[in-house]
Amino acid sequence: MIRDGLAGHERDHFDWPLFIGAVLIGVLGVINLYSATSVYSGARAELYISQVYWLFVGGILGGILVAIDYRHLERLGYILYTFGVFSLALVFVLAKDVRGSARWIEFGSFRFQPSEFMKVFLVIALAKYLHDDPRNEGRTLRDLAIPAALTGVPALLVLKQPDLGTASILTLVFLTIAAMTRLRWKSIALFLGTVVAAAPIVWTYVLLPYQRDRVTVFLNPEGDLLRRGWHAYNSRVAIGDGGVFGSGYLKGTQNQFLFLPDQYTDFPFPVFAEEWGFAGTVLLVSIYAFLSLWGIRIASQAKDRFGAVLGVGCSAILFWHALINMGMTSGVLPVVGVTLPLFSYGGSSVTTVMVALALLMSVSVRRYSGVPSLDRL
Amino acid sequence: MSLLVQRSDVSEFRRRFRWIALFMLLAFLGLIVRLFYLQILESEENSAIARENIVRRITLATTRGIIRDRNGEVLAASRPSYNVYVVPRRLDMETVWPKLMEYLGVGVDEQARLQTLITTIRAGDGPRKNQQILLKEDISRDAVAGLKTHEAELPGVDVVPVPVRYYPHEEVGAHVLGYMAEVDAERLATLRSEGYVEGDRTGVSGIERAWESYLRGTRGWEKVLVDARGRRRPGGEGIIEDPRRVDPIPGRDLRLTLDAGIQKAIDKAMRGELAGGVALVDVRTGRILGLYSKPGYDSNALSGGSGKQVIRDAFKRLYTDPLKPALDKTLSGAYPPGSTFKPFTALAALEKGLIDPRQSSQCRGSLTFGKRTFRCTHVHGAVAMQRAITVSCNVYFYRLAAEYGVGMDLIAEMGQRFGFGARTGIGINAEAPGRMPTKAWMTLRNKGQFRLGFGLNAAIGQGATTVTVLQLALAYAALANGGTLYQPQIVRAVETSAGTVVQEFTPRVRRQIELRPENLELVHRAMVGGVNEEGGTAYRVRVAGVDMAGKTGTAQVSHKLARGQEAEKVWYFNREHAWFSGYAPTRSPEVAVVVLVEHGGAGGKHAAPVAFEVIRAYQELEHQHREVQAKGGPKPPGNPSSAGGKPSGDRPRQRPRPGGRGGSP
Repeated sequence: MIRDGLAGHERDHFDWPLFIGAVLIGVLGVINLYSATSVYSGARAELYISQVYWLFVGGILGGILVAIDYRHLERLGYILYTFGVFSLALVFVLAKDVRGSARWIEFGSFRFQPSEFMKVFLVIALAKYLHDDPRNEGRTLRDLAIPAALTGVPALLVLKQPDLGTASILTLVFLTIAAMTRLRWKSIALFLGTVVAAAPIVWTYVLLPYQRDRVTVFLNPEGDLLRRGWHAYNSRVAIGDGGVFGSGYLKGTQNQFLFLPDQYTDFPFPVFAEEWGFAGTVLLVSIYAFLSLWGIRIASQAKDRFGAVLGVGCSAILFWHALINMGMTSGVLPVVGVTLPLFSYGGSSVTTVMVALALLMSVSVRRYSGVPSLDRL
Repeated sequence: MSLLVQRSDVSEFRRRFRWIALFMLLAFLGLIVRLFYLQILESEENSAIARENIVRRITLATTRGIIRDRNGEVLAASRPSYNVYVVPRRLDMETVWPKLMEYLGVGVDEQARLQTLITTIRAGDGPRKNQQILLKEDISRDAVAGLKTHEAELPGVDVVPVPVRYYPHEEVGAHVLGYMAEVDAERLATLRSEGYVEGDRTGVSGIERAWESYLRGTRGWEKVLVDARGRRRPGGEGIIEDPRRVDPIPGRDLRLTLDAGIQKAIDKAMRGELAGGVALVDVRTGRILGLYSKPGYDSNALSGGSGKQVIRDAFKRLYTDPLKPALDKTLSGAYPPGSTFKPFTALAALEKGLIDPRQSSQCRGSLTFGKRTFRCTHVHGAVAMQRAITVSCNVYFYRLAAEYGVGMDLIAEMGQRFGFGARTGIGINAEAPGRMPTKAWMTLRNKGQFRLGFGLNAAIGQGATTVTVLQLALAYAALANGGTLYQPQIVRAVETSAGTVVQEFTPRVRRQIELRPENLELVHRAMVGGVNEEGGTAYRVRVAGVDMAGKTGTAQVSHKLARGQEAEKVWYFNREHAWFSGYAPTRSPEVAVVVLVEHGGAGGKHAAPVAFEVIRAYQELEHQHREVQAKGGPKPPGNPSSAGGKPSGDRPRQRPRPGGRGGSP
């Protein structure tokens, strides 16, 4: 379907591995969501159906993006970015408070989370900046000041919502992209030194108490099992309870007996891990690893700087989401609100992931197109 | 000019894709290592925790055995009450706790105390964090309703129905039945091996204590599935290990020898007296029909039916009241028997042939012995043995000791044969042995000096001699039945909750006292006279229609003034104890009765009327039973005459009684 929308030679280069990987994740995600919400009755038990709708919405949006040459986005780069930052600012004005943090913008019955889309907007903006700023000699930190500022503005806005998870993702995506550039060794050293020096300041003045708690709980998970440590502890137990082959679909007791709250947003992985065991988790990790690495491969084959950075950025979004989510649920990373791509329920999250995948596809199908496609039209 | 960007130089990135890819690969490999650790290496531990999360062992309460009287009337049983238990680890102190306190309606002080308790357990390392801890007992019906309605909001909170002990007759017979109390930490240490846990109640006195192991029953448990919000879930096959459930075993019921009707009658008969004890014993079996101590206490209040404050108040009263309600005056209190002991002195003299009972002795109101004058109650003139007992002439008995060689050791020997100075072995409460002093004992006590005056006092039941009410009743039962001293019996049978008899206790003879029948007959006639002859000490208060023999006693007490007490204010404690001991009916006696009115004054005036009333009540109750039986109604199981069809060997011996009352020898 998406493939049919492409021009002839682009259709020939359709990226089947990327497509199949994405479909696999999407299908597993819906199956798992059904199990995760099976403990509820009423509207929440039907979330998997909404998820299918969102996958379709994301698919259509993705199809359009694949059909359009990604290079058109280059011109729109800063406009989209500005729109994203504006939306984030608007959150503070219009925000609907969800569990103590303001993340949503509502239009009638439709509401969305601008922080999700911001990730893609940031990648596009960074890609545009680096596209326009080719270097052959090593960069200094000053040369990365503008990309850093581009990242810093939305990251701080998101952090103030407060949403530590998304702020971390934005920062990590920027760092991944920055790692692509040719930096001087001295600059890298200086940067690392600054990070170490700044960490205590960020800890004390930037992070909110509950965000600090999450980190302390991570460092000492048994400290308060009833309240803050509850999620981390029980999600780890659920994963371990899966054993080699899992307890079977719909039979994970940790989920069925409500020991995994938020199992359909931030904690779908323990549900999956308990039911499918080590065999299942290795498969799932492998698919995410494949998608991330395939994304890097697509980026490496891109014929222009914009496409390369775009590819790395989208790949980084997938990578960091998957790694942090599975890391935090298995107890190796602090619990921050980061979703698992296509496993977590949520319209904004699903469409964002679909858009990132579509951008990768868009770069991929045009890896051999030497001539700008519009010239041919 | 193209709308799209031209191909640009990507060489800056070229070598770095590989490093980023490698980083991602390693990160995911690290994640897989972590998952390997959790799902393969730590799998069993995590599965155990996951199971522990949802499987909870709940205790299934057992029911304590019911105590009934000989006719099946309930003396102690259990009623339902509701206790609140919490599992500290599952309790959210910030959201759930305030709600729980609100529904329970707990005061500020208690709230703080409970919170400290739970916080301490939560902070600790022990297994109690995961166990149900008793938070509050016997909550009101409103609180039960509130907690049940809001069950879903209160994870970690359980309302458990628990039976509470109640005693329908309240104070009557409280000392025999005893009461229940929560095991304290000290006793729990030793009782834990027997399956007791925090919050358990055990019998702390009376039958409740002595028969605890029978009454208690065994609690059961069941493993159930509970979700994170504390709600029960069905199922569990394959998750819960077998056995999933152990049923509770209800405690054994006890059928006593007591008669609730008699207990009530005794209580009524004692209405005019402040303190004392009464025993009514079947002379043919040693079974106790009535055992009563005054002042009593309400076992219900002590047993926790109405909360901790009531328990505290009840205990305070129990131990500050100068009349000592905590003391069982029938078993634990030892008193000088006074003149009720005279029949045994007489038997000591007669059995040794030291005096001809027909020989008269002059009573001029006192006897001077050495430098001391020993007083009598009246000037009795010439009295022989039988009359001396009937009118209770002290001088006659002084003479036995002073002039006829009835020494302390002889008296003590006879007393010991009748069970004085030794515990009866009833098996409940702390029994006092009493004291039957010998010459050697008195010498030792008096710093090596023995005075003959001791023997004179011993002859009339004064001095160092002390007895318990029950000892006296059993000794009089032996006088009435021809010399059989029975082991007292309070529990007739052990039954299952369904009513099947598990164990039945037959009468046990402690000792057969060898006595010449004519001597017993003389004492018998003397005591018949005590009630029925002009001049008999209980003659003036006799009740028409009550056929009884007996002996009064007025025992002098020497109350030592405690520090700070003024003599005028403690006159009561200087008054004599009033006694009456006897048996009825006079022809083939059935029951022996002993009444002690503490500091009641003269026995004939204060104790004997109580005994008459008790015997009358006994006769009426027996009459009713006989009528019921004659009409073919159900046999009362506790009726002594239906002793389970035992062979005649178990039958109490009937005393051969030549002639009849007043018949010539």
